[in-house]
Amino acid sequence: MNVLSLRDLRVHFPGAGNPVRAVDGVSFDIVAGETLGLVGESGCGKSTLANAVVGLVAPTGGSVLVRGEEIVGADRTQLRAMRAHVQMVFQDPVTSLNPRMRVGDAVGEPLLVRGIARGQDLRRRVGELLEEVGLRPEHAMRFPHQFSGGQRQRVVIARALALRPELLVCDEPVSALDVSVRAQILNLLVALQARLGMASLFVSHDLAVVRHVCDRVAVMYLGQLAELAPSHALYSTPRHPYTQALLSAVPEPDPVAQRSRARVMLTGEIPSPANPPPGCRFHTRCPIAQAICRSDIPVWREVGESQVACHFA
Amino acid sequence: MSQVLAIENLSLSIAGARVVDGVSLSVAAGEVMAIVGESGCGKSLTAAAVMRLLPPAVRQEAGSIRLAGVDIARLRESEVRGLRGRRMSMIFQEPQAALDPLSTVGTHIAQSLRQPLHRVRAEVLRMLDEVGISDPARRIDQHPFELSGGMCQRVMIASALIGRPELLLADEPTTALDVTIQAQILDLLRKLARERGTAIVLITHDMGVVADIADRVAVMYAGRIAETGPVDALFAAPRHPYTALLLASIPRLTDVPKSVLAVIPGRVPGAAEFGPGCRFAGRCPLTEPRCEAEPPPLAPIGDGRATACWRWEQMV
Ligand SMILES: Nc1ncnc2c1ncn2[C@@H]1O[C@H](COP(=O)(O)OP(=O)(O)O)[C@@H](O)[C@H]1O
Ligand SMILES: Nc1ncnc2c1ncn2[C@@H]1O[C@H](COP(=O)(O)OP(=O)(O)O)[C@@H](O)[C@H]1O
Ligand code: SF4
Ligand SMILES: [Mg+2]
Ligand SMILES: [Mg+2]
Repeated sequence: MNVLSLRDLRVHFPGAGNPVRAVDGVSFDIVAGETLGLVGESGCGKSTLANAVVGLVAPTGGSVLVRGEEIVGADRTQLRAMRAHVQMVFQDPVTSLNPRMRVGDAVGEPLLVRGIARGQDLRRRVGELLEEVGLRPEHAMRFPHQFSGGQRQRVVIARALALRPELLVCDEPVSALDVSVRAQILNLLVALQARLGMASLFVSHDLAVVRHVCDRVAVMYLGQLAELAPSHALYSTPRHPYTQALLSAVPEPDPVAQRSRARVMLTGEIPSPANPPPGCRFHTRCPIAQAICRSDIPVWREVGESQVACHFA
Repeated sequence: MSQVLAIENLSLSIAGARVVDGVSLSVAAGEVMAIVGESGCGKSLTAAAVMRLLPPAVRQEAGSIRLAGVDIARLRESEVRGLRGRRMSMIFQEPQAALDPLSTVGTHIAQSLRQPLHRVRAEVLRMLDEVGISDPARRIDQHPFELSGGMCQRVMIASALIGRPELLLADEPTTALDVTIQAQILDLLRKLARERGTAIVLITHDMGVVADIADRVAVMYAGRIAETGPVDALFAAPRHPYTALLLASIPRLTDVPKSVLAVIPGRVPGAAEFGPGCRFAGRCPLTEPRCEAEPPPLAPIGDGRATACWRWEQMV
């Protein structure tokens, strides 16, 4: 079953001139238990897409189905019901927690507000949630500032798990963390996915992190998907020249391997999402662009195990 | 090789705590020396000490910082000012924040030469071209808000280099940039070291960046150098438990997906928690009683390498 289905999702923001087409026609599905990675350079629309999925921004058009139910145009009651199934973890664990609220109250809030648990029962559930993310039940009495960055992100994850969501949307969940702490949180996320069987939309600019946790990966460029493929296929045989360029730009922590790698260098700047180029949106930076790329929009098609939008993939 | 920069036994303290403790490192002409470590380990303060731009709360307790043989700490402020931009320059993580929003690219770069733009316009245009800014004749009159992050970083590099300094300190110069732009900026820095012979100290938390650009590396932990040496040898066979764990904790493109990453238990100690011994002792898998009691010196172990670990031979 599809936990999430996006069809031609569009989110445009009004701008000084043309609207900013932050998300401009994205379609994909996430099935139960699956983790889909969403990668791309900053400004390509990843966070806007994630926010649209959890109902934090209103789509301009298209469809967002959560467990088959449409949330575009849904009223507040329907959105609230949907939010029980879809939870979000943001990049910054500092601003995601209320500094004046004890972490136990923060973790238990969704259960209390929805009338699922209270009193002794709530305290027990909170203790279990904290243990689930590698903290201790007695941590419930502390305030966020008494925790390190990695521990705060654990608290945020515990709260997101409180309602046992079917879809966890993570927007750059480890980007603000130091290397050694990042590994702890990644291990936790992988273990939780396996144990709870929940699906995830995992947004990150870090391709190595995404490869580590995701089953399939969607590559986004200027509000649209360039490529979508199973993780192993995307990383071993990237089809879209943009995917190839992104991957080849990731420096590997191995100096000997790094020196011998072939590079696909991109030139030029990312165009504005208010004025995307005609034809293939990537043509202004593409190393293999031809005349047709400047005029015709490439159709989304299958190549090997990938789906890709490129005339020459 | 003659050293452009030689830091010896540098110690910096804040309210009595040694946040940088006994750091020694050097960089030669044309060489890229990386300083890598997690946040708060003292990388930026070390660079600030070299530029003599330490925040008021920070005291230099000990050590010498020699730029081509001259100890910077002993110079008068006016003398140091004369060195900045001409003999040594620094670039930062947030190029947009470091550029004056009201001045144009050209005016900003000309300031490093302490000249009005009209007198050095040709030179500024050449420099913009050298750092890979397309259409310099148009860009020179633009303001920072009209430029992308990558272009702002190029402008900052241009203004750091136009005085032809021997030493460039680059503090997380690509951390705020996308990998595609990072690759371009690292290429540019590599070219500067090779072609101009600029000595570069590159500060980063990213082992991938170190592997890509550095000739040598110093791994810092809690204010001290844990290990230092040529990059190939250090990555191939780390000789400090912290370096080994750090390398093992990085997700790689070559990993088995969803495999368990190595973790370093606990967290970096704050300055108030520093004990008398090795600052990594509380988290180290090799720790023994001596580690808690006595600080291991940064001792040479051959082939230009050195490590500050009592038990490094256990790793061979
Ligand atoms: N609330 C908003 N109003 C106007 N423009 C926005 C808003 N949020 C994002 N944008 C713009 O939409 C584009 C996509 O942004 P974002 O989704 O944050 O990208 P990413 O997360 O991939 O970095 C960018 O051009 C950004 O400036
Ligand atoms: N202006 C300052 N005032 C007080 N403490 C500072 C200041 N700058 C840095 N520190 C402290 O000094 C230590 C080293 O900082 P820094 O050199 O900035 O680390 P890094 O660059 O490796 O992240 C940290 O513990 C930090 O909190
Ligand atoms: S000196 Fe001891 S505690 Fe420090 S790194 Fe070496 S073995 Fe570990
Ligand atoms: Mg984002
Ligand atoms: Mg710093």
